[in-house]
Amino acid sequence: MRLRNQSIKENFTGYLFILPQILIFLVFLVYPIIEGIRLSFYQINYQNEKFVGLDNYASLFGDPVFFKALINTVVFVVFIVILTVGFALFVASAVFDKNAKYVSFIRGSYYIPVMVSMVVMSMVWSFLLNPANGLISYFSQEMGLGTVNLLGKSQTVLPVIIFVTFATNVGQAIILYIAAMIGVPKDLFEAAEVDGASRWQVILKILIPSVKSSTIYITIINIIAVLKIFVVIQLLTGGGPNNASVTLMYYLYNNAFKYNQLGMASAVGVIMFLITLLLSVPQLRSLIKEK
Amino acid sequence: MKRKRSLVAVVALMMLTSIIAGCAGGNNEASNNKGTNASSGKEKVEIKVWLTPQWKGVLDATEQGADYDSFLKYAAEKFTKQYDKYDAKVNVEVIAGDQRDQLLNVNLSGGTPPDVFFESVFAMGDYVHRGALVPLTDIVDDSAKSDIAQNYWDAVTFGDDVYFYPFQHNPGTLVYNADMFRAAGLDKFVGEETEIKTWTLAEYEEILKGLKDKLPKDKYSNAYPMAQYAVNNQGDTWNLAYLRMFGNPFFDEQGNIIVNDEKGVKAMEWLKKIKDAGYTNPGAESVSSNDANGMFQNQQLAISFTNPILFSNTKADMESGKANKFDMRLANIPSESGDPLSFTYVVGASVFQTNDEKRVEVAKDFVKFFSTDPELVKSSKNGIPVRTSVSEEFKSEKPLFAAYDANSKYLFNFTGNIPGYSQLREVLYPELQALYIGAKTPQQAIADYQTNGNKIIETNKASSVIYQKK
Repeated sequence: MRLRNQSIKENFTGYLFILPQILIFLVFLVYPIIEGIRLSFYQINYQNEKFVGLDNYASLFGDPVFFKALINTVVFVVFIVILTVGFALFVASAVFDKNAKYVSFIRGSYYIPVMVSMVVMSMVWSFLLNPANGLISYFSQEMGLGTVNLLGKSQTVLPVIIFVTFATNVGQAIILYIAAMIGVPKDLFEAAEVDGASRWQVILKILIPSVKSSTIYITIINIIAVLKIFVVIQLLTGGGPNNASVTLMYYLYNNAFKYNQLGMASAVGVIMFLITLLLSVPQLRSLIKEK
Repeated sequence: MKRKRSLVAVVALMMLTSIIAGCAGGNNEASNNKGTNASSGKEKVEIKVWLTPQWKGVLDATEQGADYDSFLKYAAEKFTKQYDKYDAKVNVEVIAGDQRDQLLNVNLSGGTPPDVFFESVFAMGDYVHRGALVPLTDIVDDSAKSDIAQNYWDAVTFGDDVYFYPFQHNPGTLVYNADMFRAAGLDKFVGEETEIKTWTLAEYEEILKGLKDKLPKDKYSNAYPMAQYAVNNQGDTWNLAYLRMFGNPFFDEQGNIIVNDEKGVKAMEWLKKIKDAGYTNPGAESVSSNDANGMFQNQQLAISFTNPILFSNTKADMESGKANKFDMRLANIPSESGDPLSFTYVVGASVFQTNDEKRVEVAKDFVKFFSTDPELVKSSKNGIPVRTSVSEEFKSEKPLFAAYDANSKYLFNFTGNIPGYSQLREVLYPELQALYIGAKTPQQAIADYQTNGNKIIETNKASSVIYQKK
């Protein structure tokens, strides 16, 4: 007993130091999550809140747009994450052992779009893609192909958004991969060389397993980022045409700020939270286990 | 050692408390200050006035330092000088139009709404239904009633009460490039410079066809007859007007949408027909009204949409050399009956329920003051004045006032003052997109719009203080 008291006393200063952080964590993260869950059971207007149980969830599941948003979000997550990880691995493994200046150049050129605001990037793309007076449509008209409206067809709008988001995000993953690959011990490569391994074998058997923790990290942050995809949708398509590009985040925004249905918006938020949690837990677990 | 540790703990705790205290305090900009002013002996009352950008300057934009808040700041100064009930202080703040709802929702939830909001009525109607605004019926007197035409009062009346004091209005019309008309040999359809030309629907279709077939390609390459857009809710009032083209009344007496009938379907079919015939810019489903306006200014569209503020801004850009100069004139939205389809955005002030009697009183007095003061109401000439006296006074200076005035008998109330109007706007453009990309037939699109729209109206009626009172 005395021993326990003493250890608490000894750790007291330590706890005191992390107290501000814990408080901020509780106030700005834990409390909003709990409040969000609570609000999802209420119908809210300016004057009062009314407890409606699971009504908000029921009307969500009765809304075909919600399912469209859910499917679109999953499609975005799967394709963007696979593209990002695959392409970043490809670029990084191709250049990581080249001379430093070349590596910096590649890193820099892929990273520039990451630094540019997503709003600016989306606006540039919308200038290019505008069917009436955009550059892409103009060139296709000049070539006699008529007007193209990639954002106006339900079949092409998703691939375009996937490409735009991927092109803007991939720089981050490339940087992380190059850094991780440079850190892989050189003796492994030397041993592989002595054994007569081909470049492909080196990449497959040494490089990719050595950067596994980076892959997990990149996958998690990209899943979370893509689940929250919003700016591109808002600026390029507004969820259209005919709700073909609505995502969960955009659906949440519409409910909260356009329709003033805070309860419904909170319910969408709760569902998004659960999806993120489900997707991240296995990966986080393997990351922790490794350490 | 022990003492030192507890000292550290105490200091750390004190710092934390001060941080938290710092977050909580001092959030009350506009307040009913309990103190009295020693010199005048009157009680101090401070109110917060918000507006979205309307016009610059007090009377017009040529004044030095003219800005969006100039008018209300000047009005506030004049008001406080003559006000004898309280020692009033008026704080004026300009709010970006696209952030209006977000800011208001956050402030209403936090209990800090503005006292007065000066804005287009159509954007604020939902706040009446939500019980956030106080009635202004008691500050409207007979002289105002006789000076301002009845249809403007109808636009600001919800249930039995007036909730906005009409100040000016911005009628929506079409705008056309007369040079392009002439180039396509359509001279006979060009109206006078000071006229809002009315075409019949048959004439209008003849114009569209003429522009499509006869517009010289060398002079106007990549140009189209008419603007069509449906990417979002911006400029949707024109789309709503097209839906009335074949005589559909849109709302019934109970405030429900009744657009799904033969006339409504015909209107939808017409929209699809002109798109398929190539009379409109391509890709309406992903073009915004902003894009369309830009294309009109670049002479890529011969007919587009406008309102007086947009029209005079474009004219000013042409004069200053910012935009290409061409002959730009106004026209009405045509209809099958031949009568023009005319609507307007009434702009006026509303007062929020702050649950502080004195602040509400001062806010109402301020609204009445600047909406009736003979000098201040002259500023309404920046849009179109709602007061006959003001439009009479500026008739010679602004020849279009008479033309707008002549249109006023055709005005329809596009919001129907129904609850949930801003939510209703969000269900029209997805249906138009579905129509344009061929995902739905005109019949399906109009039927789905009516079903979804009425569902929204139904939900909002249930929480509307106006409908619950009835």
